[in-house]
Amino acid sequence: MLVLRQTLLIAAKDTKVFLKDPFGVAFALLFPLMFILGFSLALRNIAPEDEQLAITVATREQEGLSHRIINLLTEDELLGAVVMPYDAAVRAVEEEEIGGFVAFPADFTSGLTEGRPTKLEVVARAGDPELEAALMGFARSVASSSSNTRIALAAIAQIAGPAALPRDAASFGRGGSLLSFETEQVGPVEAFNAANFTVPGYLTMYVFFAAAMGARAIMRERVNYTLERLMSNGARRESVVAGKYLGALYLGAIQLAVLWGAGLLAFGIHLGVSPAAVIVVSALMVLTSAAFGVMLASLVHTEASASSAAVLASLLLAPIGGCWWPLFITPEWMQSLAKLTPHGWANTAFNKLMLFGAEGGDVLVEMAALAAFGLAFLVVALVRFRLSPGGP
Amino acid sequence: MTEEFLVAKDLRKRFGDVPAVDGVSFTIRRQEIFGLLGPNGAGKTTIIRMLSTTLEPDAGGIEIGGRSVAEDSVGVRALIGVCPQELALYPELSARDNLVFFGRMAGLGSRQAKEAAAENLELVGLLDRAKDAVRKFSGGMKRRVNLAAALMSRPHLLFLDEPTVGIDPQSRNHIFETILRLRSEGMSVLYTTHYMEEADRLCSRIGVIDHGRLISLGTPAELKSAIGPPDEVTLEQVFLNLTGRNLRD
Repeated sequence: MLVLRQTLLIAAKDTKVFLKDPFGVAFALLFPLMFILGFSLALRNIAPEDEQLAITVATREQEGLSHRIINLLTEDELLGAVVMPYDAAVRAVEEEEIGGFVAFPADFTSGLTEGRPTKLEVVARAGDPELEAALMGFARSVASSSSNTRIALAAIAQIAGPAALPRDAASFGRGGSLLSFETEQVGPVEAFNAANFTVPGYLTMYVFFAAAMGARAIMRERVNYTLERLMSNGARRESVVAGKYLGALYLGAIQLAVLWGAGLLAFGIHLGVSPAAVIVVSALMVLTSAAFGVMLASLVHTEASASSAAVLASLLLAPIGGCWWPLFITPEWMQSLAKLTPHGWANTAFNKLMLFGAEGGDVLVEMAALAAFGLAFLVVALVRFRLSPGGP
Repeated sequence: MTEEFLVAKDLRKRFGDVPAVDGVSFTIRRQEIFGLLGPNGAGKTTIIRMLSTTLEPDAGGIEIGGRSVAEDSVGVRALIGVCPQELALYPELSARDNLVFFGRMAGLGSRQAKEAAAENLELVGLLDRAKDAVRKFSGGMKRRVNLAAALMSRPHLLFLDEPTVGIDPQSRNHIFETILRLRSEGMSVLYTTHYMEEADRLCSRIGVIDHGRLISLGTPAELKSAIGPPDEVTLEQVFLNLTGRNLRD
């Protein structure tokens, strides 16, 4: 009871001290907002007018099933497929008029009806992975439907004999059963909102930064003997450690409220399909960052070294941990390196939830990793924390 | 009720290979102002930290108000107040907020702490500046708040570690008057200083410490009479005679 009372008093006092320090408030709340604003503006042109991908199709057959498939595809307005002669399509890719196309081979119909392997051809310009992925997906869908057709033809031939097959195999499936597909209008194509990345990124960076700078404040208290005065006043060591930790949690909670609030109201961010999971990850991040700050204070010996360690650690861990750029665009080795930092786990979870439509269950590993980091930091802090220079 | 409120027996403390305190014994009586004098690095602050329960001695025993520091540090803390030589305050907070916080940490309720803060600010002459942030105060005013903070737990024994460093004569005089008033109200005081005239004026007994050892103990008159007629000898002469004239770190 005494420890709890002292813990709450110390945390409340630290919060009061924080709120009376204009630079501290600006550093913890305004700086990240400025960074978010700046980088959101700088990144807004990444895909300002995102357009629907145009699927271009071509065939090397004079006649046959491929023509029928192409007709079906081009008739659908939502799909918006464009048909071009094969040679013209190749030239268009070379001259960078189009990104790529899907082509039916010359033996498509015969291969399909005679059971020989036949391959759809995907031609894509280098450096356009999104279109290449879309064309590959489209080709796989067509191939899958065509395979089903071939299986149906083989089954008919086996059961009823080859005579049962239509004389002109190319006419098989007339009426739309050869290739069936559905298109669905899901809404207008939305432009990429850079704030969906920058808000969690800079939130993570500054929550950890502010907590790390809290180590400096703890060191100042140790050097000017206020911590020792607390002890001679009756405060217990565990109360001081817990009070400092709780004070850092209060600060982190204020940062979360302000920065997520600004993100939602001013930057129009989207918390994804599981906002509750975003809140849980945020809470774990604050718990871990607060422990990081107290641990840092327990490891350094002077106020200057606390400042240096806080700045160095924050500026090193933020880019490694994907606060400045999305981890998923970085090379694999950088993504592996990010796993050594709590920032990396937090940002991976935020990106999954806010950019890729993940749900809470999809980020359990990230949550567990953050909790493990926090626990480890807290254990070090509890073991190493000293109330006075050279004292207990 | 014993005559002696604090009993320190054969205190020892080493930092690495350096003996900071080497077999120091002394007592402080009720309502006594006991002076502890010594050059820089002599071991005064280390002794205060051991007496105030924030540093564990390597050897020796301490009893305060009949309670052993080693066995009942929590009980001892309820009896003492510490005014460190550093300004152990929160500069961003007001004088009153500082005192209320330290009072509440010492176990006072919210109302009690506010009342005690007002009383102590009045005692040190700063009640009219109660709401001002400590960072706006002069050095002397900060020293007085530092003293007031040590009084928030309503201690029986007050440790004052160089409480008048770097302040003007008016603030110094105010602190003297406050200490004398506290003694008259029943408080015992352990007082360290480099200003010999302060010790001469305030202290009923003085211990001189050097290289971690207590090299002399007695009333100011007794210490002076060791080298000459007390009326003609100053405490500073006694001090230099005992500790030498070599410069210290």
